Amino acid sequence: MTVTDIAVVGVAQSASVRRSRLSEAQILVPTIAAAIEQAGIDRREVGFTCSGSCDYLTGGPFAFVSNLEAAGAWPPIAESHVEADGAFALYEAWVRLQEGDIDVALAFGSGKSSPSQPSEVWAQQLDPYFLAPLGLDPPSLAGLQARAVLDAGLATERDFAEVVARSRRNAAGNPHAQLRTPVDVEALLSQPYVRDPLRRHDLPPISDGAAAVVLARGDRARQLCERPAWIKGFDHRVEEHLPGLRDLTRSASTSLAAAKAGYDGGPLDVAEVSATFSPQEGILVRALGLDGDVAVNPSGGPLAANPVMAVGLVRIIEAATRIMDGQAQRALAHVTAGPLLQQNLVCYMEGEQ
Amino acid sequence: MSGAGASAVTKEDLVMNHLVRLSYREELSPNLDRFVDGLLEGKLVGQRCPSCARMYVPSKGYCPLCVVAMDESEAVEVAQVGTVTAFTVITPVPYYGQQQVDPFVYASVLLDGVDTPITGQDITGIPHEQVRSGLRVRAVWKPVEERDVSHISNRGWGGLDSVISSFEATGEPDASEDSYEEYAL
Repeated sequence: MTVTDIAVVGVAQSASVRRSRLSEAQILVPTIAAAIEQAGIDRREVGFTCSGSCDYLTGGPFAFVSNLEAAGAWPPIAESHVEADGAFALYEAWVRLQEGDIDVALAFGSGKSSPSQPSEVWAQQLDPYFLAPLGLDPPSLAGLQARAVLDAGLATERDFAEVVARSRRNAAGNPHAQLRTPVDVEALLSQPYVRDPLRRHDLPPISDGAAAVVLARGDRARQLCERPAWIKGFDHRVEEHLPGLRDLTRSASTSLAAAKAGYDGGPLDVAEVSATFSPQEGILVRALGLDGDVAVNPSGGPLAANPVMAVGLVRIIEAATRIMDGQAQRALAHVTAGPLLQQNLVCYMEGEQ
Repeated sequence: MSGAGASAVTKEDLVMNHLVRLSYREELSPNLDRFVDGLLEGKLVGQRCPSCARMYVPSKGYCPLCVVAMDESEAVEVAQVGTVTAFTVITPVPYYGQQQVDPFVYASVLLDGVDTPITGQDITGIPHEQVRSGLRVRAVWKPVEERDVSHISNRGWGGLDSVISSFEATGEPDASEDSYEEYAL
């Protein structure tokens, strides 16, 4: 697919915290302002704004409307909302920019998991006939997936713990992360199961947080940013909703999204993947064909900070940032939605040659 | 479900009740916390935007027009007298749950020095047919022990009728139209 040159030119994220007293809009006000400041624009230059959030999580109908105020909705602006992670809002903004009549777009995502019981909320996204009435929560589903991975001989419980230990090591250098204390693999393995074969550390933290990205097109991107993170491809694929109808040890839609996003399997400098539960990292690494040289989740990933509805956009921010600051030339970000990697989005970015 | 030996599928076999209850628990944001503390003390506390000087009661903690965050230093106690900007007189029709039986007023009140009208207020001390835009009114508080703020949340602060029983006419001359025409919601 031929696309107009579009790049990430400004990013910002809030700290992820277990419980924030601020409203989502209040968390977003400084976050969006920081992304716009980094891009070096006036907010009135934004030609299109797209937000991502979840009213079920916030606990109020049309909760996303007040979030929009954090982007400055007066005088009236052109905007849209997705009931999804901010990464999917970024996808819509990227599509909108390709129409060619505007040069700058803003996407943001926000979520507060602390007021709700996430296990109650996320059981509701399952099919309403067979699974939702069971109250099957994400950790239970992840336990089934982990068991399938173990039974297939693809990983061990020690491998899961090592993913967690590396996440915490990496997160120690990430001021936005929530779980930043180093952990010892042996100590992790001595902990009890919470969903056999998963232990508490295999689950993500419960987080409140927000993130924002400014995209710009063509020459405007080059003017605004010394080293823009050019989006070479952006693709989103969906699998069967019922987890029982899928091979849970693989992620075929992740492989397909990466291929359609133009990732050729060549060397990457960084990959930020939405492994929300530790066994999913191996599944995603295999689905993307990553080799041992690529830095996987140098930010610590979702196991260190999981602000749902922003956590996917944070993957793109972490990957783009490493291009913008010159550390990386080729970066890939993966974002997931739905139960057990049902929907997968891949954003493949490169720096200027 | 049918027991053993049932021979035909009935409607009961096909219907499964799935009742969903989601619970949320959240501390009030600092700006709403100050507002609620004020209500319990008989004060109306807002925040002034440091950029445009608009006064919000209650405040969201930021100015949605300037997109500027506000903190405790911008918190201000505001006047309890104001002007009716718009109103309607509602004649209740009976329906399940309706507790009103007599006609009542639903008015928006713009407190002096404030930029956000408070909607849905009862107006007392004057016959309904004399309620009008420009009417000057003051807050009538419920007794301290009857004030209830439990419905106020970060998702919407609802009405004030659980702490302020009504706004009563002060008898002052009406406010001029240009003092409230920008706020006629």
